[in-house]
Amino acid sequence: MALSGIEIYKHLPKTNCKKCGFPTCLAFAMKVSQKAIAITACTDLSETARAALEAASRPPIRLITIGGDSRKVEVGNEVVMFRHEKTFYHPPGLMIKLKDTAPLEATLKTVDEVANLVIDRVGLKLSLDGFAIQNESKDAATFARCVEAVKAKADLPLVLMSPDPAAMEAALEKSARSRPLIYAATKDNWEKMAELAKKHSCPLVASEPASLDELAALTQKLNQAGVEDLVLDPGPQGFSSSLNTLTQLRRLALKKSFRPLGYPIITFPAETTGSPEEEVLLAGQQIAKYAGIIVLSRFSPATAYPLLTMRLNMYTDPQKPIQMSPGIYPIGAPKPSSPLCVTTNFSLTYFSVATELEASGFPSWLLVCDTEGLSVLTAWAAGKFDAEKIAKSVKAFNVEASISHRSIIIPGRVAVLRGELEEELQGWKIMVGPPEAMEIGSYLKRYWTN
Amino acid sequence: MSRFIATSAIRGAHSVIADAEATLKDALQKMGPETPVAFTSTSYFLPVIFGFTGQKITKLGDMPAALQHARSLLPPVPRDNLWLPYLGETLDAGVATLFAEEIIEGIRFAKGQQPEQYNGHKLNGPIDDVQMRSWGIQMVDGRMPGFAAIVGAAKSNEVAVEIVRQLQSRGQLVFLCSQSNGRSIIDQLRESGVDLGYDTFTVTFGTDTYSAVYALGYATRAALSFGNVAAGDIRKILLYNKFRCFAFVLALGQVDDIKYATAAGAINYGFPVIADTVIPNILPSGVTRYAHVVSLPFDDLPGKDDLEKAQRLVQRCVEIRGIKIKIAQVPIPVAYGPAFEGEVVRRENLRIEYGGKGSMCFELLTTKSLDEVEDGKITVVGPEIDAVPDGAKVPLAIVIEVAGRKMQTDFEPVLERQIHHFVNGAEGIQHIGQRDIAWLRFSKSAVNKGFKLKHLGDILHANYHNHFGAIVDKVQITLYSDPEKVKQLMGKARAIYSERNIRTAGLTDEAVDTFYSCSLCQSFAPTHICVINPERVGLCGAYNWLDCRASYEINPTGPNKPVAKGKVIDAAKGEWEGVNKFVYENTQMKTDRFTLYSIMDQPMTTCGCCECVMVLLPECNGFMLVSRDDYGMTPCGMTFTTLMGTVGGGLQTPGMMGVGKYYLLSKKFISSEGGIRRVVWLSKNLKESMEEELKAVCEREGVPDLLDKIGDGSVATTVEDLLPLLEKKGHPALTMAPLI
Amino acid sequence: MPVEIPVEKWAGKVNEVKLGGNGRKSIVIGGETTLPFLKIDGAMPHRPAIAVEVDDVMPADWSPHLIAAWGDALEDPAVWAKKAAEYGADIIALTLDSAHPERGNTGAAEAKKTVEKVLAAVDLPVIIIGPDVAEKDNEVLIAASSVGRGQRLALGNCVDKNYRSVAAACIADGHVAIAKTPIDINLAKQLNILICDIGLAPDAILMDPTTGGLGYGIEYTYSVMERLRLAALIGDKMTSMPMICNVGEESWRQKEARATSGVPATWGDHQERALAWEGITAVSLLNSGADIVVLQHPRTIALIKDAISKLMA
Repeated sequence: MALSGIEIYKHLPKTNCKKCGFPTCLAFAMKVSQKAIAITACTDLSETARAALEAASRPPIRLITIGGDSRKVEVGNEVVMFRHEKTFYHPPGLMIKLKDTAPLEATLKTVDEVANLVIDRVGLKLSLDGFAIQNESKDAATFARCVEAVKAKADLPLVLMSPDPAAMEAALEKSARSRPLIYAATKDNWEKMAELAKKHSCPLVASEPASLDELAALTQKLNQAGVEDLVLDPGPQGFSSSLNTLTQLRRLALKKSFRPLGYPIITFPAETTGSPEEEVLLAGQQIAKYAGIIVLSRFSPATAYPLLTMRLNMYTDPQKPIQMSPGIYPIGAPKPSSPLCVTTNFSLTYFSVATELEASGFPSWLLVCDTEGLSVLTAWAAGKFDAEKIAKSVKAFNVEASISHRSIIIPGRVAVLRGELEEELQGWKIMVGPPEAMEIGSYLKRYWTN
Repeated sequence: MSRFIATSAIRGAHSVIADAEATLKDALQKMGPETPVAFTSTSYFLPVIFGFTGQKITKLGDMPAALQHARSLLPPVPRDNLWLPYLGETLDAGVATLFAEEIIEGIRFAKGQQPEQYNGHKLNGPIDDVQMRSWGIQMVDGRMPGFAAIVGAAKSNEVAVEIVRQLQSRGQLVFLCSQSNGRSIIDQLRESGVDLGYDTFTVTFGTDTYSAVYALGYATRAALSFGNVAAGDIRKILLYNKFRCFAFVLALGQVDDIKYATAAGAINYGFPVIADTVIPNILPSGVTRYAHVVSLPFDDLPGKDDLEKAQRLVQRCVEIRGIKIKIAQVPIPVAYGPAFEGEVVRRENLRIEYGGKGSMCFELLTTKSLDEVEDGKITVVGPEIDAVPDGAKVPLAIVIEVAGRKMQTDFEPVLERQIHHFVNGAEGIQHIGQRDIAWLRFSKSAVNKGFKLKHLGDILHANYHNHFGAIVDKVQITLYSDPEKVKQLMGKARAIYSERNIRTAGLTDEAVDTFYSCSLCQSFAPTHICVINPERVGLCGAYNWLDCRASYEINPTGPNKPVAKGKVIDAAKGEWEGVNKFVYENTQMKTDRFTLYSIMDQPMTTCGCCECVMVLLPECNGFMLVSRDDYGMTPCGMTFTTLMGTVGGGLQTPGMMGVGKYYLLSKKFISSEGGIRRVVWLSKNLKESMEEELKAVCEREGVPDLLDKIGDGSVATTVEDLLPLLEKKGHPALTMAPLI
Repeated sequence: MPVEIPVEKWAGKVNEVKLGGNGRKSIVIGGETTLPFLKIDGAMPHRPAIAVEVDDVMPADWSPHLIAAWGDALEDPAVWAKKAAEYGADIIALTLDSAHPERGNTGAAEAKKTVEKVLAAVDLPVIIIGPDVAEKDNEVLIAASSVGRGQRLALGNCVDKNYRSVAAACIADGHVAIAKTPIDINLAKQLNILICDIGLAPDAILMDPTTGGLGYGIEYTYSVMERLRLAALIGDKMTSMPMICNVGEESWRQKEARATSGVPATWGDHQERALAWEGITAVSLLNSGADIVVLQHPRTIALIKDAISKLMA
């Protein structure tokens, strides 16, 4: 059971020394209780206090970092079973699998494509995270060469996949500074893999398909060998076993504070699925249900995009309204003569309007005002969506340069702004749109004549 | 129970049953028991008998058993010398009558005499299933409240037409049957050229009283189709009709024994009987929701002519049955809707102003009894707008009188506060303030479109019915623009306001056994629940206990639910068994205890919209309060926004919680920790805007100079700065029991 | 070291709702005493069903991939429904879109004809969805209700504006109402209470929590569904109705699935992307508690059918 801020505060030195970065001991205690900062940030803690607090403040699922300074993936440190309970913090890494037996040229082409894949989604840049390189050749030198070449092409986080400690050693020599994830320690090779992980300060996958009991036994051995940064591989998981096993692992970590299994999980959805189409579906499920690293067997932008979107959606904070970046968005392929609508930057509002505009058959311009993530009526009531704000946005985003006409359609719910907006936007025609986004299509059909 | 009515009804029942027995005997002899019997296109057999007994009558031979049953229900006619309450007997006699009437009509069908040919027209007779279903859906979805079964004939043809028109305009189905002095309302309507038929919601049953049983057959079938009721489950059928089918019997002209007997049958269904002649009243409720039998002698009704009396008669019928009114369109000459609420009427477009600086304007809503209020009556006392010059400033009093069976005086301020919201919906009309600081501005464009003072009445009348129909049955509005009148009434209004203030202030947690919840914020803080008690407002500051109570009465399935306090666990901390149970069940089992007067021990959860956040300052042995509109740093080292991130989202955080600012003034303000004495720092804007009230509270708590000892953002934004100040001024918190 | 798996014991159970019957094939959905597909806590006695959307008019603005997949069948709802059945639909979701004031404004008479035709063409259970304009919904759903009397159709959408009429029709003709609310647990619960108040049995109600497609609010739908399902498992009877999600339409109407040109190259192959869009939306919502997913593309039907089988295994 997590300690309350007050209980933690009782153990602190109460000096408000600010060395932890917080202005008071209480403010620090509150952050610790949310597990937003480790108790060790307090340097004046007495030994007894540290002992009392450390266990209680240690994240139930260890945060694991893969990758170097330029690009890294952080997974783990989740605190809830359901995103509505708080939020899911660390989006799973999506990695593309490469084989060291494939022609290097083709491999590097894929690496290049993956590295350059940037999907712009409403102001956010979405990308895949890195590669899992498999030592298919069983040859250490080939493996190392491939790893080196990939790393030279794009310094993205890596998973190195080989059961052979020697091959792993060779590959690590070429890539250890980028902190790749070592895949994997098994009950047969764990001592050597642990050595490598320690030597190169890299995170290590503990792989044990037999049972959770044996998986826990393996992680404990690795802990004893001095490896703390672990990732779990409970073996190949189909739709049902993935859901059930990964749920059990999350529960064990969160509800039982079961340390041996308190690590993020790596999955390989292709291992249990019969087609690329099916692989994508299972990967989608694993994004929602508790995977930490997902290794995809092939790269296709057409499936990367929906998976990245799924990840973005599941890992948004449900208690904060998601905000769109304000600006002017083309919906469809609008011309200068196309309709101009205005709305707020609450994401759901934006999506409702954008979806309807998209479906209306009228390519349009959508001006999104900064209302601090509030919906139309709420923003209006809070004074964050008024005539002045709209007029300012029209100027700030240089709307007049995009369109040839001077008509702007405002949401029907704020019809009241019309008069004021006429004053603010001299020479413009202010049109009052429908109160519900659903009616936008009909509205444009009836009233848009340009 | 009226003995006269009981005697008449029971006597009538005897006569109908005797008639049915003779008719059946004759029919069986002449046609044989195998002769089929069926009403028009129905799968409910003889529906009243089917509904009451589950018996499916398909042939003459099935009838004797049912009639036997009717006979067995029949009580003896009361003797002159013996007085009994008779209600049960009369109701039984009514049921027996309906059985007998249905049997007679069934035999008539078998003989081909139904539906009846009358004066060259074919009457409709019973309603077929297809139509019943179509109307039934409208009754369930509320478009059609129910039906009026009119028995007899009106005073004149014009009166008959007006009564039917009035009923139609309310969406009420009209069933027509029987006669009075040889005339039937069917004749009266036909002679006046009124179209009768399904399309006009008027159904002709027959020219005798027996055919009135079709109305009850219709009601029975509606319950069987829409009430999830099985045939034979008569209790459910009757209750369904009592609560869902807003029907009544309107007896026009003389009421004879058979009409009494049939009416007694209708009363079983919860349908009241209203007569336009002098008969005894049976006013108390019971089987019907309100009165059972009401006499409204036509000539005694208010109204300047018969047409007005007819309107009044229907209006009274609607009230007696408790039919709620909905007004789809607010009848005013300008646009109306929420989009106009925030509109400003600027100087250049101002036509007339009521109240504001240097003028007088107030609004008052009070409760009256049902017969003191005439629904929809709007009176303007003093000059209308057209009599006032451009740009004038004129006094105004908006006096609203409401009546409702569920209305309570406690709801008056809740309803009164809605005036602002309602009036602002009109395009070109601006409303500011409330009570005696109300201020209205009418724009030129609105007045040019024909907006008048009386339209304020229309707006209010429509909105109170539409939004508060659950508690308000009748609304009348008087608008005083006569300066003398306004002045005179102002004193009275102020007395009422101050009475209300005292009452609200005197409302204590101990005085009630129910608190209210508010789950409005669960859409984004699923594990948060507010429990609102009389001495603590919701943490958003927007809802107090009375608001929540009214909201629950208006919308029992809405966000505010009653929370029974239950057994007290800790009176000092404000912990009750009932509250804990409710909290547990409504926070997805995340929070199992809740104290209402403590911030240190299991305080209330906090959502994202609290007015203020209160935080422990351990160094000062007290608490600070920061308000939402204070953007500055605070002594706890966190701004309001950072604090929200820590405490919000439905968490229970000892030492921290969200509160509404008026909680500061409550006697129960963290009373478990020592109340206002523990406040060591307040946002400056809070301190300033609530200065008077806070001073009064400090007086009340016996620390009159406390406010001066409390820090604010202008003197300290860190604990290091605050603590010496508190020490210097001798803040009482420093010497109180340690909080940690 | 033996690992002790934490098991949740739930007191509640999702209602079992039957569709079809009376000469028509029937199907039962709901009945869960556990979170979706989570065998360790309880049972999921019935597999979630796949409904396939069939419109009464040729869809005006569908993706070319959908049009190509269905071909001429799109011109006749009866043919379309038959084809959907061949592709593996468990339920036909007939949308009376032509009743929309702007898409034909047809009325009760046309609705009756269409419903009769589709009911005659297939023996699967049928869902009837109105054009999503409360007044027109009432008109055509009530007409459909009488045509399908006794065949336990599901009628939707039953929303706060028209729930009384639709619920009344369901009571009168023995159908199931689809109660639709805009992604809000309390509104969903409130509508269920109101519908039950009218007299419709709780096992004749399905909830449509409103589907946000992938990238278009799916996270809101996902979480509201999880909350509704958790509330049901805790024992709240008024959230214990099975859930239906309109996956196909909400996926294929998005530009990621529909746009044929003018999209960035980084979006990749159009058909592959569109199918993944519909498929991921379906799998996610099945995992958050959907008991019926309404799909549009034949390939998705096959993929999701297979995924459901594997999830149930």
